[in-house]
Amino acid sequence: MAQIAEELRIRGRREGLKLAWKGRLQSWVAKAFIYLVLIDISFIFLSPVIYMVSTSLKTVADVIDPTVYWVPTTFNLDNFKLSWQALKYFPSWQAITEAWTQGGLAALKDLIMTESAAARSTVIAVLAAIGQVISCSLVGYGFARCKFPGRELLFMLAMFTFLVPPQTIIIPLFIVYKQLGWIDTYLPFIVPSFLANGLRGAIFIFIFRQFFRGLPWELEDAARMDGAGWFTMFWRVMLPLAKPAIVVSFLFSLVWHWNDYFEPTIYLMNQEKFTLPLRLSIFWTGLEEVTGGQASRFYNEPLIMAASFLVIVPPLILYIFTQRLFVESVERTGLVE
Amino acid sequence: MSTEASRAIRVRRLRIPLHTQQAIMGYLFITPWIVGFLLFLAYPLVHSFWLSFNNLENLVNFQLRYIGLQNYVEAFLIDVNFLPMLYTTIRNAIIDVPLIIVFSLFTAIVVNQRLPGQGFFRAIFFLPVVIGSGLVIQQLFNQYQAEMGQAPLVRGIDVPTVILVVGPEFARTVLDLMNRLALVLWRTGVQILLFLAGLQGISSTLYEAARVDGASEWEKFWKITLPMISPIILLVAIYTIVDSFTDIFNPILNYIKNLAFAGQFRMGYAAALGWIYFIVVFALMGLVFWIGQRHTFYAGER
Repeated sequence: MAQIAEELRIRGRREGLKLAWKGRLQSWVAKAFIYLVLIDISFIFLSPVIYMVSTSLKTVADVIDPTVYWVPTTFNLDNFKLSWQALKYFPSWQAITEAWTQGGLAALKDLIMTESAAARSTVIAVLAAIGQVISCSLVGYGFARCKFPGRELLFMLAMFTFLVPPQTIIIPLFIVYKQLGWIDTYLPFIVPSFLANGLRGAIFIFIFRQFFRGLPWELEDAARMDGAGWFTMFWRVMLPLAKPAIVVSFLFSLVWHWNDYFEPTIYLMNQEKFTLPLRLSIFWTGLEEVTGGQASRFYNEPLIMAASFLVIVPPLILYIFTQRLFVESVERTGLVE
Repeated sequence: MSTEASRAIRVRRLRIPLHTQQAIMGYLFITPWIVGFLLFLAYPLVHSFWLSFNNLENLVNFQLRYIGLQNYVEAFLIDVNFLPMLYTTIRNAIIDVPLIIVFSLFTAIVVNQRLPGQGFFRAIFFLPVVIGSGLVIQQLFNQYQAEMGQAPLVRGIDVPTVILVVGPEFARTVLDLMNRLALVLWRTGVQILLFLAGLQGISSTLYEAARVDGASEWEKFWKITLPMISPIILLVAIYTIVDSFTDIFNPILNYIKNLAFAGQFRMGYAAALGWIYFIVVFALMGLVFWIGQRHTFYAGER
């Protein structure tokens, strides 16, 4: 009897072990599969960037050589140097010191704003992003936490603005800006941003509204007990809590404005005002200027890749530094409740 | 005197009932948007509508002549470019939207697994948000395609050479689809993000309950994840449609721009095209919304 019991026990344990092994094996297979998928998708996203960098480092000989695929034989930085100049990325150190010694701060500012497309892009993107974060947080708060007649309707209207294609309103907008004297200035990008419109403003209103809606009402009750007015409550209590929404909105707005191409082509005509993507679109002209009309001698694929890479480097660096904050913030915005 | 005045003001403010105060503050908070909306959206939209019934006779003093529906007639009956472009845009949107939804949901679910190194993969998957929306990527695609003879990212997916044996026609179709997919993947940054946020919003107690009841992963996906995430699918669909109608690859965008600004200055006609386009987008969106509403599950509703 005891023997049988013992045997059953052993058999049961063996079965249990077998099952455990089976389960473990299954989970290993599943994990391996997930990693495989992850790596494959990562490769899809990374390969063009790697391709861009590797091509931009190549010499013409490398491009022709079929044995050179990913890794160039020499790390040739000439392409970056030339496309840096052709894009008018940033003035040289020499030009900067010269302007500084001759005209001081005003001359330096002049030089940078006329000779640096990167600086112009930065100014537009940063100001517009700040504007959208400030205005959309206010508006989102109003929609989320204040009850007023017509609120739902107005919010629907705000979301509706997202559906209007820019090409439908671009002509009257151009006329308005022309009459205001805003053509060839950065105001068409910045002023609408401060009024909770601008590039995809509706999305940021949505993000902030969703975030503020998720906060407990006791916060406001407590603040009101302490005698806080509405704006104090907003600035001191609500906005500091909204850090995730601010981070996400700011980064999105910054990157979208940096990459924006359609609107700058219409509102900016003077090449001295061009943003980086616009400079890239007239790369040939810039190259002609830099090389003294010999652009065709230098114009090749590695050069264009170097130029393209230069355009995306600033957002890329920003992203590398903020990606952890960004990913964490996305999880905490309560974007979709 | 001044303290008395301020006290009077305070007393008056106190007398306003809270809900009236709240309403006033609500309007104050959204005032920036109302001003911006009227100036930069409502007015241009109405003006563009009015322009679409006119012809720009003289650019210098901006003289307009009323020509009725002529611009619209031209768009549909005379212009040989517009309708095919419109058709292509709509067709692309209809093909792309499901692809994007499926791919981004899949990616979000995979990334959402608690695995070591997941942060690294997340960082990569949001890369398209940073660089995917611009001229640079277009440049890159043209370049890569010219050199490699196929769209850039197909290499990541790797088309099996078998299909070349089956037949060139079939191979081309598959390659086309792959090219499309490769391009489409670059437009998924925001969508993955939305899905990820949505997935994290699903209460883990639901999954635990399902596990206790012995549900498989597959069942959990269909019975919990999908219904819980259906509102986000609708959101992603709407976002994707708008995105695909306004992105830089869109031919109509350039067509309208060239008509209005590049030498011809046919602003009336361009405004008409803009409005037709708007109505099409709006109708499509209404359709998606109508379909979506019927299949969307809202956990909050009881």
